[in-house]
Amino acid sequence: MANAGRVSMRGIVKRHGSFTALHGIDLDIAPGEFFALLGPSGSGKTTTLRILAGLEPLDAGQVMLDGVDVTAREPGERDVAMVFQSYALYPHMTVYENIAFPLRMVGTAKGETDRAVKDAAAKVHIDHLLARRPGELSGGQQQRCALARAIVRKPRLFLLDEPLSNLDAKLRLETRVELRKLQRALGVTAVYVTHDQEEAMTIADRVAVFMDGRIVQVGRPQDIFARPATSVVAAFIGSPPMNLLPADLRDGELRVAGVPLPAPRMAGRDGPITLGVRPAALRIAERGLPARVYLVENLGDTTIVDLDVAGQVIKLRTEQAPNVREGDHVHVAFAPEAMHVFDPATGQRREG
Amino acid sequence: MTGKRLRTVVLVAIAAVLLAIWAFPVLWALLTSFKTERDVLAYPPTVIFTPTLRNYADVLFGSASLLPNLLSSVIVAGVSTFVTLLLAIPAAYALARLELPAKRASGFYVLATQMLPPVGLIIPYYLVLQKVGMLDTYTGLIVIYLTFSLPFAIWLLVSYFEDIPREMEEAALLDRAGRFRALWYVILPQVRGGIAVTTIFVFLNAWNEFLFAVVLGGNRVRPVTVAMFNYISVEQTLWAKLAAGAMLAMAPVILLGLIAQRHIVKGLTVGAVKGGGRRA
Repeated sequence: MANAGRVSMRGIVKRHGSFTALHGIDLDIAPGEFFALLGPSGSGKTTTLRILAGLEPLDAGQVMLDGVDVTAREPGERDVAMVFQSYALYPHMTVYENIAFPLRMVGTAKGETDRAVKDAAAKVHIDHLLARRPGELSGGQQQRCALARAIVRKPRLFLLDEPLSNLDAKLRLETRVELRKLQRALGVTAVYVTHDQEEAMTIADRVAVFMDGRIVQVGRPQDIFARPATSVVAAFIGSPPMNLLPADLRDGELRVAGVPLPAPRMAGRDGPITLGVRPAALRIAERGLPARVYLVENLGDTTIVDLDVAGQVIKLRTEQAPNVREGDHVHVAFAPEAMHVFDPATGQRREG
Repeated sequence: MTGKRLRTVVLVAIAAVLLAIWAFPVLWALLTSFKTERDVLAYPPTVIFTPTLRNYADVLFGSASLLPNLLSSVIVAGVSTFVTLLLAIPAAYALARLELPAKRASGFYVLATQMLPPVGLIIPYYLVLQKVGMLDTYTGLIVIYLTFSLPFAIWLLVSYFEDIPREMEEAALLDRAGRFRALWYVILPQVRGGIAVTTIFVFLNAWNEFLFAVVLGGNRVRPVTVAMFNYISVEQTLWAKLAAGAMLAMAPVILLGLIAQRHIVKGLTVGAVKGGGRRA
């Protein structure tokens, strides 16, 4: 069949006893999209993926694949493949047998299986390891074997549950790129679970941000970065994430820790706000917020300066090594258009 | 002498003593089985003697041949082991995977059956088998063996199944294997070490069982353990024949142990799941 792979989830509710893991998730994923489910642990992203796979029963809602209701279908009847965080390779089978297993289960002819296995193995560069057992492979090779087992039968939906989290940092970066290229080449829809915002932002076409069993924002990575929907999302995205400071807005004037700052024209009510500024948007200046340098982290090409502003630590990121030392008293400033304003009570973004 | 060396010497010495204690009866029986009854009773015991195969010939082909009894033992132990595994494997799998309300209670029940001294059950079992007309039948004796071996086998196997990560089945389900084939192709091969261990335990128990066999069997069903008892009588004990019988009775079990051991070692194959430490 043509692997389209359009996903639509409606009102998904999942409870574990009295705890509600998912409070009515709605999600739409377009064919061929690389879609990331991003959130801290326990936010419901993995549960959502498992419901999509059919591995987890749900309490309410509907799962549609290419317009067909598959809510009640068994995992094997959904034409989806999954790469587990643990890889879940069959330890008693060789790499070849592992990759061939999904084909063997539907009675694919020997010759065809052989061709498909070798083809899939070649795509992930493990065609020289087919005779080995998973226990004789490195972590990266095991991961590739799991990928090959997933792509061998050309599913319409490719589910990945933190597939890179067991790899070391260098390999993780390399595999991330390869994974993206592989998905493009296969043209298959991919749903990717990760708690690593940088991973999600770099790999995905679109991202759904999960918090406490709800999707708080869906969008392209650059849009989420540019306009986080809530202060929680703002504090989760970016490395380091956005600085959030309590501030006060009155008669068009903005005060942070009692210091008046130039502010853009703000629609909406006066009163307390949560002010958000990305670390890269901050700079050390002659005038602005008084701050004390708390720590200077030199990362080589960039420098992160931790600043104490009225008892709260904020981070400043710059590519020019700043001429400051720990304990220095400085001023920080930012352009008014770099400001993000959130409602301190609800955390919702306030548009200005 | 360094401390490490001393430690090694002491450990080897302890091991040697333990080995001697364990090996002595077996070696004694092995030597005795090649002696004539006269040599057996010689005092001081002879270590050097003219070996004879008379005892084996008598035990195998004499008037009181053990061959039919060996066959009896094979049937009783073989069938009860087979039936035990046939029922225990799916039961243990279900107990390991499903959320069952009586899970803990059933676990305790299994332990409790092992606490009961078997002698206490002889009379009730005798009466029950008599009532249903199964005294001295293979079916009767095998059913009685199952009451012990089945709970034990389930209890042993559950821990092996629990060691297999759930993702194994989930991966198999997504690979379109379905429940049954997931068990057959993915789970069972990974617990074969446990199955081998269980097979040995269950088979050994049934093979070496004497008490139930002598009371609930006896004439038509007469396993080798019971038959060997014939060599001990009020007037005399035929030590050499008894020893030869014991050697013959050991052989099939040793054979089974050797076969199963290969699988136990195979069961140790490294798992592919990170952090999925698993016993074999």
